[in-house]
Amino acid sequence: MQLKCSLKAALLGATLLAAVPAHAQSVTLRALMEDVPETQIIEKMLPEFEKETGIKVEFEKIGYGDMHDKLVAQLVSPESYYNVLEVDFLWAGEFPTAGWLEDLNPYIAKSGFDLKPFIPSMLDLLGQTKDATPILPMYNYSMGLIYRTDLLEDAKVKAAYKAKTGKELVPPKTLAEYVELSKFFKAGGQVVGAAMQGQRGDPNAMEFSNYLFSAGGAYLDAGRKVALNSPEGLTALKLYADNVQNGAQQGALSATLDDTMRLMCAGDAFSMVTYWWMLPQLDNKEKCPKVAGKLALSVMPGGHGESGGWGWGIPKNTSDESKAAAWKFIEWVQGKKASVARALEGHAPVRADVYTDPAVLAKYPFYKTALDVVASGKSFPIFAYSAQYEDVLGAQLSLAAGGQAKPEDALKAAADGLTQLLAK
Amino acid sequence: MRAALMDRDWRNGWAFAAPGLLMLAVVMGFPLAYAAVISVSSLTLLRPSLTPFVGLANYAAMMNDPLFWGALWLTIKYSVVTVAGEFVIGLAVALMINRTVTMKPVYFAVLTIPMAMSPVSVALIWRMLLQPNLGIVNHTLEALGLPRVDWLGNADLALWTMAGIDIWQQTSFVVLILAAGLASLPRDPYEAAEVDGATPFHQFWYITLPMLRPVAAIAVIIQLINEFRTYDLPYILTKGGPGTSTEVLSFFAYRRAFLGLHLNEGAAASFVLLLIVLGLTVLFFATLERRR
Repeated sequence: MQLKCSLKAALLGATLLAAVPAHAQSVTLRALMEDVPETQIIEKMLPEFEKETGIKVEFEKIGYGDMHDKLVAQLVSPESYYNVLEVDFLWAGEFPTAGWLEDLNPYIAKSGFDLKPFIPSMLDLLGQTKDATPILPMYNYSMGLIYRTDLLEDAKVKAAYKAKTGKELVPPKTLAEYVELSKFFKAGGQVVGAAMQGQRGDPNAMEFSNYLFSAGGAYLDAGRKVALNSPEGLTALKLYADNVQNGAQQGALSATLDDTMRLMCAGDAFSMVTYWWMLPQLDNKEKCPKVAGKLALSVMPGGHGESGGWGWGIPKNTSDESKAAAWKFIEWVQGKKASVARALEGHAPVRADVYTDPAVLAKYPFYKTALDVVASGKSFPIFAYSAQYEDVLGAQLSLAAGGQAKPEDALKAAADGLTQLLAK
Repeated sequence: MRAALMDRDWRNGWAFAAPGLLMLAVVMGFPLAYAAVISVSSLTLLRPSLTPFVGLANYAAMMNDPLFWGALWLTIKYSVVTVAGEFVIGLAVALMINRTVTMKPVYFAVLTIPMAMSPVSVALIWRMLLQPNLGIVNHTLEALGLPRVDWLGNADLALWTMAGIDIWQQTSFVVLILAAGLASLPRDPYEAAEVDGATPFHQFWYITLPMLRPVAAIAVIIQLINEFRTYDLPYILTKGGPGTSTEVLSFFAYRRAFLGLHLNEGAAASFVLLLIVLGLTVLFFATLERRR
């Protein structure tokens, strides 16, 4: 009798254990993440997700420059070590073309996840078609101009600028005005005019895109034909090279985002063309006491900057269990509640309803400007070889900015490179 | 009887060597052969299939790229300068250590430190030290009243800055090899030279250098191979820039394979690099043999 009771109790226990979702115990989600504030914001919230679902999430944080290679190596292997992916918009052509990503539409349909609040341009940027959603937007990195208001308001600086140029010292409205202002500050010797990220590759390609769009240029026309080699493109490149040589810090041609951030934070630069969400990082009394409270954000002079974004994807080469857990995480982290919580920590939203959330606007009034930056942004060309094109373009920009090539020749080579890669 | 013994020695020799050779075939031969197959295939990361085979088309595509020739020339310049620097400094340090009587283990321990560090760590450390605006090197220069230097952002200087960092790290390896060579040289010729009244310089020039030649040759060839394959330093320090001023051949191959997604062209570039290194090695040893 006693044995019978024990057996029954054991069976009941086993049944109860079996009723607990398997993933709650066994799945650990692993993601390769860019080491930026956005990642840190999400990382802080991970215990909350784990508590709710029992799914553990581990972030491996590295610099952007190493991410593509590490991810590609996993995506071509039989089973990816990373079972939830952070995907840059620059790879939104390559990864789905290579067949490395799950289509998220079935997951969206099954869970009833609402895509309507997502800014449509962000979904487009990350490769959504009418048939498939390979990547769900995570955060945007539209770029704008961050500048020092205290320097613009300084009476001595104002007088010196007026004496030199005959004009009032006001925030620049065109790209040419911006570069002129940048050179003025550097010539003054107190600060450099622009903290620039001129290292070949992603840093200078992203930075230059702002100059191109500000000057009215474009990479591709409406028919997706290469339009880079244009008078506007040439103006943009000449102004870019001029600013590197005469407005930026020493070493701009080897500088990355981290270098520009440090320079701006140290109070040694008047401005930087950068991701708009760098503002709360710089405008922080503890981290950057020299510039906190003295900064403003604007849309790129000229009206348009580079727009980019990261998204979440699920690799095909991982288990079904991992895929289900990965979607659960994506759904949670991009939901309204988590998005607002992230925004209150400085997140760059991809949902329109977060930009208009009263709590977010109360804490960060500049999110209004941020929405303008996002809405006016234009995109780098997205196709299977976008990552390679960044390198091709970056090499030519670096040659022109370093005085090793004429801007005309560099622009032509950059345009020819784009034509060749698009034809592949 | 003698023939039978030789036959048995031959069989024993192969039996002892076989496990090692098998291991080499698996860990080196197979990847090498697979890379060779990839280099004549149409395999890319977007189309992961070896067929159809395209013969030497990937090699031709690479040879037609002016960047390849630029990268090759940069690699040659870089390798020659770094190996020469490492050898000259390494020999000087080895000679000094050879003459010291005390604390030799301490010197060797200190010298081993840079060599024991991974090139990636070395590059990251130097990147911070040479940071133009906040780095300690420029700060020191400024404190001494000297102008700041744009170490990695100046296209005329970046390659030589990289070479300097490489020399800093790799010289200790040359020192250790040459110091071991110097310690093993016989004393008799020096004693005879002293009796004949030879100066220290004459002893160095006519005795030390010729006797050290085989060891020196080994050090030079190992370093030449290392320098031709340099990849970590440009990857961390400059990403091949400014412009293409630090784009050495291995970085060119990486760009083809991973940024361009063309593993086949990357493999072809790697094979060209391998052939150059092999050619150099053969030429070097042939020259050495002739001089003997």
